[in-house]
Amino acid sequence: MIQVQNISKQYSLTKKQQKELQTNTSSINAVNNVSFTCSPGSVFSLLGANGAGKTTTLRMISTILKPTSGNIIVGGESVLDNPEKVRTKIGFLTGSTNLYDRLTPGEIVQYFADLHGMDKTIFAERKDKLFTQLGIHEFSKKKIAQMSTGMKQKVSIARSMIHDPSIVIFDEPTSGLDVITANSIIELIKQCKQEGKTIIFSSHIMSEVDLLCDELAIISKGNLIYSDTMKNFRTQYSHQSLTEAFIDIVKHDGQKQEVVS
Amino acid sequence: MNTILTVYKKELKDTLRDKRTLITSIVIPAIIIPVLLFAVTKLTSSLMKKEADKKLKIVLIGNTEAFKKQLEDSTFTLLSNLSLEDGKAAIAKDSLDAIIEFTPTFTANVNDMKSGKMNIYYKSTNLMLASRISEKLEIIKAGILGERLKKLNIAPETLAPFDISKIDIATAKEQIGKMVGGFLPYIFIIFCFLGCMYPAIDLITGEKEKGTMETLLTSPASRFHILIGKILTIATIGLAAASMTIIGMVGGLKYMPNLPADFLTTINDMISMKFIIMLFAMLIPLSIFLAGMLSALVIKAKSFKEAQSILTPLNFIVIIPALLATIPGVVLNWQTAFVPILNIALATKEIIAGTINMAQYAVIVLSLIALAFVAAFLSYKQFSKESMVLK
Repeated sequence: MIQVQNISKQYSLTKKQQKELQTNTSSINAVNNVSFTCSPGSVFSLLGANGAGKTTTLRMISTILKPTSGNIIVGGESVLDNPEKVRTKIGFLTGSTNLYDRLTPGEIVQYFADLHGMDKTIFAERKDKLFTQLGIHEFSKKKIAQMSTGMKQKVSIARSMIHDPSIVIFDEPTSGLDVITANSIIELIKQCKQEGKTIIFSSHIMSEVDLLCDELAIISKGNLIYSDTMKNFRTQYSHQSLTEAFIDIVKHDGQKQEVVS
Repeated sequence: MNTILTVYKKELKDTLRDKRTLITSIVIPAIIIPVLLFAVTKLTSSLMKKEADKKLKIVLIGNTEAFKKQLEDSTFTLLSNLSLEDGKAAIAKDSLDAIIEFTPTFTANVNDMKSGKMNIYYKSTNLMLASRISEKLEIIKAGILGERLKKLNIAPETLAPFDISKIDIATAKEQIGKMVGGFLPYIFIIFCFLGCMYPAIDLITGEKEKGTMETLLTSPASRFHILIGKILTIATIGLAAASMTIIGMVGGLKYMPNLPADFLTTINDMISMKFIIMLFAMLIPLSIFLAGMLSALVIKAKSFKEAQSILTPLNFIVIIPALLATIPGVVLNWQTAFVPILNIALATKEIIAGTINMAQYAVIVLSLIALAFVAAFLSYKQFSKESMVLK
């Protein structure tokens, strides 16, 4: 389970950044007092336009960034008090494969397994299972630099899942991928859900959200402007597609903020 | 510790598969440097021999008959019937080597036991030419002087009230050590720096640029462990590059043809266990210091290109103190023992010459260890900043 409790993330701006953003304020709120809960066995989708604060939120959950205020409890551990324990429980996958070009799939997976302190026997079984499932065995001797994007994404999945995490964070995992590779990610998310893992998923592709999500939250300019179950969302916006409803919610929030200011 | 080892093993494997690092750290110092050293020495000695054996074309102008006989031999071709201006033009075109012009009163003055005047026209760019002509003329001059003294019934000793004998008590090891010892550290310090530079950019900025840093930070490894693993890898490559340079240069010198026996003995002494231990006790903290310093700097860069432009000025900061050590008169003392890089270069010179002051050596090693810790700490401070580790 992930419990996001009133988190905010503030960045201080350099004079150069202030000039670029044409602002006089010395800091900017990337995420502002956001709270939500993701439960095991369900897919929680975090939606928002570019720069809305999705990636910052996911990075705070995965302990890459530290919240300026608030706390996040991941699998019972606080990201503030026990970030290293939190990281043993999570798997993190993005659309950009982020692999080491000069290593082979086996070496990359071994590296991350070692960082997770995995037992050798368990690692061997888990690796074999993942490699068979993803079809990596046939190109396991190749170096990453010689692989297609699809192959790389499979290796990326194996690397993220090698330690069998109970919580999986997908940050725009299918962006820039071809249909077949994107589908393999969708299948992985479904499988994770069946296995009872806690899944948080951010995407710009509404059809994927529609297909996978049990709960969704919309974030705009760092604020959480909508959060509910997918079932309630569909009832509430039955006359609209997900894309139309999303645009309506974000636009409505923008107008509301203009009135307030 | 296990995590540091895991990061270190992976980074080392990854780095050793990088052709650029292999070329800079292994191929150039171990193969190219000795080959260049050998080729340059061979070429220089062959050019010097060629110059020494070259038959010089010289024009004599003026009343020259007495000199002509004494100058003419197998190494000089004497020409006549050329005016001074034509001769100068010929020297400019390299078709003539020199002109010896005797003033009109030359012979008369010499015969009258006065001083005759002659002018030599030549190009100073023509190596060894002036010394070869002077050498020959000095012999003739000594002959005339001898005759004059005889005529005047003066013993040659009258003109030499005392005789100086210079006795050098510096051992051959000292002389050669100070000579080679100045040059060797200059090369290995530069290669140690270059050896650290590419892995530092690749393992820190490269990982940031490719996005693999973000994934790595989601693993249970702490930032401290990740950074130390990386610094140790960078230092290992730097150390390997410095070692390869030393092996390459010592090997190159050892197998160089026509080397004096004293020189060979000194080179053999350099391969002693004592020299190796003393050198590595300085090189290990130096590599860690360079690795920490480079990591702290390249972490600010967002791309490989930006990292290279950050590190380029640093080349001079490393080269200048290493170069200072090659200047005569710059010696190891209690002041220079505290100047990083200069101290290691000067100490190497003293170790090779066998004249190292152990107290100063201990200070150098301890100061380098302290610097290595400071550099690693500064690097960790940077690595802990969120804005530094993400794209």
